[in-house]
Amino acid sequence: MKAQYFRIFRWHVLRHLRRHPLLAALNILSMALGVAVYLATQIANQSANRAFAATVDMVAGKADLQITAAARNLPETVLPMAASAVGVSAATPLVRGFVTLPDFPGEYLEILGIDVFTNGPFRTFDPAGFDSGEFDLQHWLERPGPIAVTREFAAKHHLKAGDRIRARVNTIDRELEVGFIVRSEGAFDSNFAAMDIGWAQELLGRRGELSAVQLRLANPPEREKAVADIRKILPKDATVAGPAQRTDEVNKMLAGFELNLAAMSLLSLVVGMFLIYNTVSASVARRGHEIGILRSLGVTRTEVRALFLGEAIFLGSIGATLGLGGGLFLAKFLVGTVAETISSLYVLVSVQHVVLNPWTFFLAWVIGLASVVISAWLPAHAAANLDPVRALHRGATLESSVNPSPAWWRSGLISLVLAAVFSFFALSTGPPWLGFVATFFVLAGFSLLVPWSTMRFSSGARKLFRIWRRHRGKAAIEAELGAANLSRALLRNSITMAALAAAVAMTVGVSVMVFSFRETVATWINDTLIADLFVSPAANEIVGPSSFVLPAAVQFLADHPDVETIDTFREMELPMGGDTVTVAVIRGSERRRFQFVRGNGPEILRRFLAEPCVLVSESFARRHHVQTGQSIELTTPEGARQFPVAGTFYDYSRDQGIVYLSQRSFVQFWHDDRVNGVAVYLKHAGSAEAVTNAFREKFNRDGQFAIYSNRLLRTRVFEIFDQTFAVTYVLRTIAVIVAITGIFLSFTILIAERSRELAIVRALGGSRGQIRRLLLWETALLGVLAAVIGMASGLCLALVLTGVINRAFFGWTIQLAFPWRSLALTPLWIFAAAVVAGVLPAWRAGRLVLAESLRNE
Amino acid sequence: MCFQPRSRAAHRAAATGLIVLALSAVGADWKTAEPGWQYQFPRDHHAHGDFKTEWWYFTGNLVDDQDHRFGYELTFFRQGIRPMADRDPNSSRFIVDDLKFAHFALTDVAKQHFHFEQKTSRGAFGEAGFDEGQRLAWIDNWTLSSSGQDSFDLLATGPQGEIHLHLRATKAPVAHGENGVSIKAATSGHASHYYSIPRLETTGEFVVQGKARPLHGESWFDHEWATGQLAENQAGWDWICLQWEDGTELMLYQMRLKTGGADSSSSGTWIAANGATTHLRSSDFRMTPIAFWKSKTNGAQYPIAWRISLPGQRAEFVIRAALEDQELALGPITYWEGAIDASGTRDGQAIKGRGYLELTGYAGPLSGLSR
Repeated sequence: MKAQYFRIFRWHVLRHLRRHPLLAALNILSMALGVAVYLATQIANQSANRAFAATVDMVAGKADLQITAAARNLPETVLPMAASAVGVSAATPLVRGFVTLPDFPGEYLEILGIDVFTNGPFRTFDPAGFDSGEFDLQHWLERPGPIAVTREFAAKHHLKAGDRIRARVNTIDRELEVGFIVRSEGAFDSNFAAMDIGWAQELLGRRGELSAVQLRLANPPEREKAVADIRKILPKDATVAGPAQRTDEVNKMLAGFELNLAAMSLLSLVVGMFLIYNTVSASVARRGHEIGILRSLGVTRTEVRALFLGEAIFLGSIGATLGLGGGLFLAKFLVGTVAETISSLYVLVSVQHVVLNPWTFFLAWVIGLASVVISAWLPAHAAANLDPVRALHRGATLESSVNPSPAWWRSGLISLVLAAVFSFFALSTGPPWLGFVATFFVLAGFSLLVPWSTMRFSSGARKLFRIWRRHRGKAAIEAELGAANLSRALLRNSITMAALAAAVAMTVGVSVMVFSFRETVATWINDTLIADLFVSPAANEIVGPSSFVLPAAVQFLADHPDVETIDTFREMELPMGGDTVTVAVIRGSERRRFQFVRGNGPEILRRFLAEPCVLVSESFARRHHVQTGQSIELTTPEGARQFPVAGTFYDYSRDQGIVYLSQRSFVQFWHDDRVNGVAVYLKHAGSAEAVTNAFREKFNRDGQFAIYSNRLLRTRVFEIFDQTFAVTYVLRTIAVIVAITGIFLSFTILIAERSRELAIVRALGGSRGQIRRLLLWETALLGVLAAVIGMASGLCLALVLTGVINRAFFGWTIQLAFPWRSLALTPLWIFAAAVVAGVLPAWRAGRLVLAESLRNE
Repeated sequence: MCFQPRSRAAHRAAATGLIVLALSAVGADWKTAEPGWQYQFPRDHHAHGDFKTEWWYFTGNLVDDQDHRFGYELTFFRQGIRPMADRDPNSSRFIVDDLKFAHFALTDVAKQHFHFEQKTSRGAFGEAGFDEGQRLAWIDNWTLSSSGQDSFDLLATGPQGEIHLHLRATKAPVAHGENGVSIKAATSGHASHYYSIPRLETTGEFVVQGKARPLHGESWFDHEWATGQLAENQAGWDWICLQWEDGTELMLYQMRLKTGGADSSSSGTWIAANGATTHLRSSDFRMTPIAFWKSKTNGAQYPIAWRISLPGQRAEFVIRAALEDQELALGPITYWEGAIDASGTRDGQAIKGRGYLELTGYAGPLSGLSR
């Protein structure tokens, strides 16, 4: 049977493919696209995660434990205490900080101040042969300038040992010297430079402070005990934990974002599955006669099923394999976009290397192939169950046996109800990914409603055209016939329609979601971003809030005669129980605005500025299950302290949520009044330029500060917003491409397999023009119906994406808003695509050779 | 009772760079050793921060209560990184003005064991430093302290044992060289200030796993400070100190040239029982190697036995290592420093003594204590 199977396979499948290469190509292409998008997204996610983890690994070295203090830095006196703690076999201090490089705009270096005397057991990189004795310790220690940079960094900026570069720290320029080139292995960020810890403290203005103390334990299995012992000697706000904890935290933080990307990428695979279903059923329909012959020659049902599955798997595996290459290609584009998004929303990453994990490729391939098998199963099964007698009689059509049973629309409605139910649970009890289940049911529900809708649409259109024909004569006969044909090949037409509708739905849903999000953010910004000028060190734009505004600069702005009042901003991460949360510290002013979820705004604000309490963002409240009136526990240098939540406000700046503290409270408990930025409220808006110029003259001769007017900052916010959704746009574009491919594919198939029927029409006196018009009507009607269903299902999808997924994953309330213009255009381009897709097949149908097509009638 | 197995990689890593540094070039702001130095004690037992390089070198031959023989070396090195004028007391405590490192080696002659260890420290928190009250130098719990001008206390701990020694000078300090400088090279400017206390009565104990073993014997103390004393053309040196049973002592060094042979500035000092010194020029002594030991670590051939003649002293003797393997394999620069026995004749009379031999530049090139 095996040898026979392969012989039949060769005869039945390969010959067929040679005769219909377009069909095969489309089949392969749709699978390739689906697999490529999925794989590329996975690679981008993994590369970003790996880049971050590698940086953590590189910095943390081979430490068993790491002592850090989140807000403040560790007092350096922790080091000797930790080094002499019981169970600690080695301890090394670390100072970290960012400098920007004015000579290379947009570039930064993360400075790692290391102690070569103690970091031997921790070292993961080798400053120019430290261990081989070539290391010039005198040079390393003697002067403030020398740094060790990575080979990649040096090459990128054409630097060689001995070159000098300017580094900007807290808006002040210092000169550094490329003293050493670091030999580095692994995928970590090349934007780092090591220097002696003493000089790093001086450079970064961190005398007396450390960023971390890394520890090795004499007996790592007794880690818990060591942690407990060390904790006793640490300041209250210091934490001691394994260095991997930060990676875990970041992975957790990114999980939602990355799951969303993965889910979006799977949607294009789902659309691809519809296409494959379609092509396999087409292939079954076209070869009903052959199946009849095979069955009467003794080929079993199982073998027939295996033939069609084999064909699908054969094509699918070619497609999936091509998809692996395509995914790799696409990943190169996606990696950068994903990394930028992660950097602007979550944590600074710079992806230098695309991570290629063989398992990811294997998984993508398997997922692709599995989706092929799933989508080919039904048509293959149908082929196996063909009655050989009927199949041999060429006059019979496959579809005539299919009736749209009420089960279809019932299951459709049930699916939609299930979508609502899952949405409810995603929001109320979680887990958030139930939102994706809801998405699935929305798509499934509308797909299941397609046969019924097609029937209704077909009969409705027929009636309409009949009325038209009565008034206008013969001209509409093609339209009427076309409408009738819609319901004649119901099953396959439905699948075509469902595929199109799913692609349209995805496009519409994503567009509406992004638009709603953008509108919501716009309203939020309008209400809250009202200061006239925003001043912060330019470095913060590149590396996040790491640089501080000099007190003199803050004072200058506060004292300027045109300035009514200023507000200051400081952002950092603080420990809250076992978590790390983002905390913003603001001085506050009468003109500061919040959009509170509920409560009396001015009253909340007054309390916030007067008492030690916090404001939390909506997503924070949702994530940490806190409400106004409850308290959160933040760790101050004196120990944990409860801060009552005075209010909850809307904030779309970060999905992890944010806690606001007044500067007054922060200074009271943390004894730190440095600020990352200043918001300036002017007496009259017209003086913005004068104040900017005065400030520039005094503090900003060399672009040390980023100064935004209100209008510019809003523009910038939307730049970041759009960049954040860049990946989404890419995926949406791919969905559109899949949709259009689907349209072409479907119509090519539809017409190809109806050659006999069309020939009869011709034989009965239909002209070439009539045939062509008939087909164009059909495709146009299909396009209209797909557009309508797609729009409806897209709007439902948008509801789920905005109201369920965004809330469940990110905790944001997004007001639904519709991009009317592009929504109005959507059915037009689908319609146009459908008509254009119909043109070539229709033209070919007009040239059918009658005798050939009618031989069996 | 061993300290550190010599093969430990951490050892090497820590040592790396340090000795290269110790031998490396010099800035303009350091003082050089010039003729006319007047030694004063206890002043000169302390650190001389204006000079780039300085060491306090203690070696000695001891026996325990069961008459087991031990040799020890405990050396503290100071390597100036930043000249005094550049130092800022308010800057980060992690900035290194002086590099601090120390070597501790113990030779167990009876068991034929040799153990050595190096310590390096930034000293940011005062865990290492020089010249603080009675402490002349220390790194962690390795300490050299002085009580007055003629007695010292040494403390060093390895993972397996601890050594406490009290040293009392039985002879006055002896300045080597002439006119306050010890010349190291024929070319000018390569010199150091160098004195020894050639005999210190030593008592103390060796504590292993809480059990103390009394020790007694004699030590030799060298203190030397300089800026760039080694010349470019020098490959290393052979140094000997000997304490004879008749109460006399001898120090000799020969600077070996890269081209072979000894630099004409090689010299030594003969110290009579009454403390009177005789400066020995290179022409006053002859050193001939008579036995070699090959290092298993690096293949270096160390001349661990020598025939030495001092015609002026009418002395002819042989020195031999008490244990062949007394090599401190410490990274890029490895040297041999170990206990020796000496026997021969002087004025026709048999003489015997013990001392220490130092051999540098055999296991790869020295970058040179040069400028």
